[in-house]
Amino acid sequence: MTALLTLDMVGRKFGSLWAVRDVSFSVERGELLGLIGPNGAGKSTLYNLIAGALSPTKGEISFDGQSVTGWKSHQVARVGIARTFQIPKPYRQLSVVENVMLTAFQHEHSVRRAHALAMDTLTDVGLGECADVPVSTLTVGLLKRLEVARALAMRPKLVLFDEIMAGLTPTEVGTMTRFVSSLPSRGITVIWVEHVLYAIMKTATRIMVLNRGELIANGEPASVARDPAVVKAYLGEEMSLA
Amino acid sequence: MSLAPADRSRGTQPPLLLPRRGARLSIFEIVLLLICVVLALVGIPQNLQDIAVLAFLWAGLALAWNIAGGYAGLISFGHAAFFGVGAYTSTILFVGFGITPWLGIWCSGLLSAALGTVLALICARLRGPFFILSTLAAAEVVRIAALNWATLTGGPEGLSIPPVAGLANMVFASKGTYVALMLAFLVAVYAITKWLEGSRYGYYLNSVRDDADAASAAGVNPLLVRTVAMALSAGLTGIGGSLFAQYFLYLDPTFIISPEVSFQFALLAAVGGLGTAVGPVLGSFLITPMSELLRSYLGNQAAGLHLVIYSALLIIVMLYFPGGIAGALARLSRRGGGS
Amino acid sequence: MATLGQLVLSGIFIGGIYALMSMGLTLIFGVLRVVNFAHGEFLMLAMYGAWAMTRLLGLNPYLAAIAIGPAMFLFGAIVHQLIVRRALDKPHLVVVFATMGLSIFMQNVALMVMTADLWDVPPIFSRSVEVGPFYFKAELLVGFAVTIACTAILQWLIRTTYLGKAIRATVQDGEAAMLMGIPVPRIFLLTFAGGSALVGLAACIMMPLFSVFPTVGLNFVLIAFVIVVLGGMGSIEGALLGGICIGVVQSLSSYYVAPAYGQMFYFILFLLVMVFRPNGLLGQKGSATIGIND
Repeated sequence: MTALLTLDMVGRKFGSLWAVRDVSFSVERGELLGLIGPNGAGKSTLYNLIAGALSPTKGEISFDGQSVTGWKSHQVARVGIARTFQIPKPYRQLSVVENVMLTAFQHEHSVRRAHALAMDTLTDVGLGECADVPVSTLTVGLLKRLEVARALAMRPKLVLFDEIMAGLTPTEVGTMTRFVSSLPSRGITVIWVEHVLYAIMKTATRIMVLNRGELIANGEPASVARDPAVVKAYLGEEMSLA
Repeated sequence: MSLAPADRSRGTQPPLLLPRRGARLSIFEIVLLLICVVLALVGIPQNLQDIAVLAFLWAGLALAWNIAGGYAGLISFGHAAFFGVGAYTSTILFVGFGITPWLGIWCSGLLSAALGTVLALICARLRGPFFILSTLAAAEVVRIAALNWATLTGGPEGLSIPPVAGLANMVFASKGTYVALMLAFLVAVYAITKWLEGSRYGYYLNSVRDDADAASAAGVNPLLVRTVAMALSAGLTGIGGSLFAQYFLYLDPTFIISPEVSFQFALLAAVGGLGTAVGPVLGSFLITPMSELLRSYLGNQAAGLHLVIYSALLIIVMLYFPGGIAGALARLSRRGGGS
Repeated sequence: MATLGQLVLSGIFIGGIYALMSMGLTLIFGVLRVVNFAHGEFLMLAMYGAWAMTRLLGLNPYLAAIAIGPAMFLFGAIVHQLIVRRALDKPHLVVVFATMGLSIFMQNVALMVMTADLWDVPPIFSRSVEVGPFYFKAELLVGFAVTIACTAILQWLIRTTYLGKAIRATVQDGEAAMLMGIPVPRIFLLTFAGGSALVGLAACIMMPLFSVFPTVGLNFVLIAFVIVVLGGMGSIEGALLGGICIGVVQSLSSYYVAPAYGQMFYFILFLLVMVFRPNGLLGQKGSATIGIND
């Protein structure tokens, strides 16, 4: 069976700078893939490329058997790729449940059923009580959870999480980690960018490391943690990542 | 301010007191509608009929503007172009080719919608003030073209419709009939707005307004949504323009396609409550009578006084009550423990 | 050929004056990311002021600039504190409507107080200046000279003084500027007030060349917007370049095409720029697509 997502020598140039260069990898259905790397490594750019917010300067991207290279974000969303934004982008004049209904509409056309789907998703991530609250009153942590709810309400095949742990207490990190690791068994493949490394190292089936736009490691968490190139990329210090 | 639609799976639901998002009417709206209908049918004193005609017409036009400006966030100060194109289209078809305005208004609507589509596509990538300025510029281009294309539009002398009453001409001897006509327009645009805001398309409009990138990531095509919103808004404005022409029987490009008219649409919607259905109606019902009364009592002495008052009102409303009248109502309902 | 030269040159000169009128707007745009829709009315107010000082006090409008400049600075500061500042943290439609409201307010107060009549001041110089085969009104040349001087002074201020650097920093990234300890709210106030003072100066230069009436602002504000877009948001030299372009386009089209259609030309130019080069001729990339609150 073909991989769900394949990137082939994908690169993106801004002016004369390659933010992402010659990145090739594939993601199988049911994987929980962690994507880590120091700041400025190109993780956001990579996400934007996969999600269609940017088009690659070179390379090919294919998803679920078809080429999506150069597709726009709404087209990519419609074939089943969902994403969260590192800095949450809620619809400020809508309520929490209405925010989630927008993505739910990809799955349910009726307003009533989309509302129900949105409510279920909110309960899933623990925001059930905030459903009718205006978004402007939410804290950053809750906004991040809202991002997760929005992505999942689409019933996507692949979801791209972008630093969803920031602002969570250790207990909440634990809950969220368990939640994310349950997704593959529900048929949702996950790519996860995260700085809270212990969470991701424990749950990911595979880790990819990006540095200066290039993929420098791609393998099991334990071996990636020991890889000298990876350790050097993160401040050049000896760090225990496992 | 918008609240999620109530669950429709149960049979009985408590009646809504104040307007809520969606096609279900509240008591407030029903009462307001009944009052208008009764006034239209029973008849209003002669001197107030003018006011009723204009209040209903401007309410419909403000609602039309609101589809693009309030729901989709496409703030246009150039809608007078659509208003004018609509007015001229049906008038030229009637005066030049004998086509009844009852058909002509649809041509107006279509042509205005087409113009709206073109404008939306041109300004697709523009945000914020640049979009607004482009609408201003586009309207000025249309105005100057109308002013100078004398063979088509009659130029600065304008166009007149012969005051021959008749149903087929959409010209009526009795102002009361015009009151009914404008009310019908208002009710139609209101119904369209209510349906839209309660459907998923209404949510698409809001999402593109609030965060186009997030909307895109949710599978919504911002360009398509903006273009359709603008086309619908423009088309309805064009139809309103036709009705305006049929009432005043005289078109003057300097007045019709002016920034003042564009501003008026936006003012009524903003003071009443952007992005709500009842807002623009309340805005018009508040401001239009005030405007006409001031104009008739103070006449030329106050050339500009009424605008001084409205603009000051607008500034205050915008800074302290950005939700307009409708927003203030919604806040009251929440505080009173309402639905 | 001489006609073409005459047209182009006078276009350049009047364009420079248009540029001066737009410099305040582009600074405000660049720093506060706000379009002051009442910009034209600020110009109108200052023109009435210049007219009053000339007609009632017997001053020359150029001298009146000494009073009008500071007066407009104060006026701008008041408008900023009362209106603009309160609108900044709200959705951008608030500042749009608020300044639009201010524009209509000022137009109509002027209408009530000054009536719709056109007022003007007597010419300052008795004859035109001859440069080779060309004739120019002396007021036009003086206006252009003032614009060039102003541009140079502003450029120098922006590049060398702390205030200038603070302004440039705020244009590039307001949040970062704040984190660097730049008193951004004060920069906003100074820019808005300073931009208004520039408008006041422009009004004094323009008074000998144009009449003033309540809606005069509307003509000029649309020109100013076009110039600001052409020149790029926040760019002084861009405003000069944009102004000159517009002046030449207007001059040529008024002569070769019917004057009425001539007005249409710069709106079409504006729309073309918006479609094909929303960043202006030399402006920051993406300024038109970023807008506000991004």
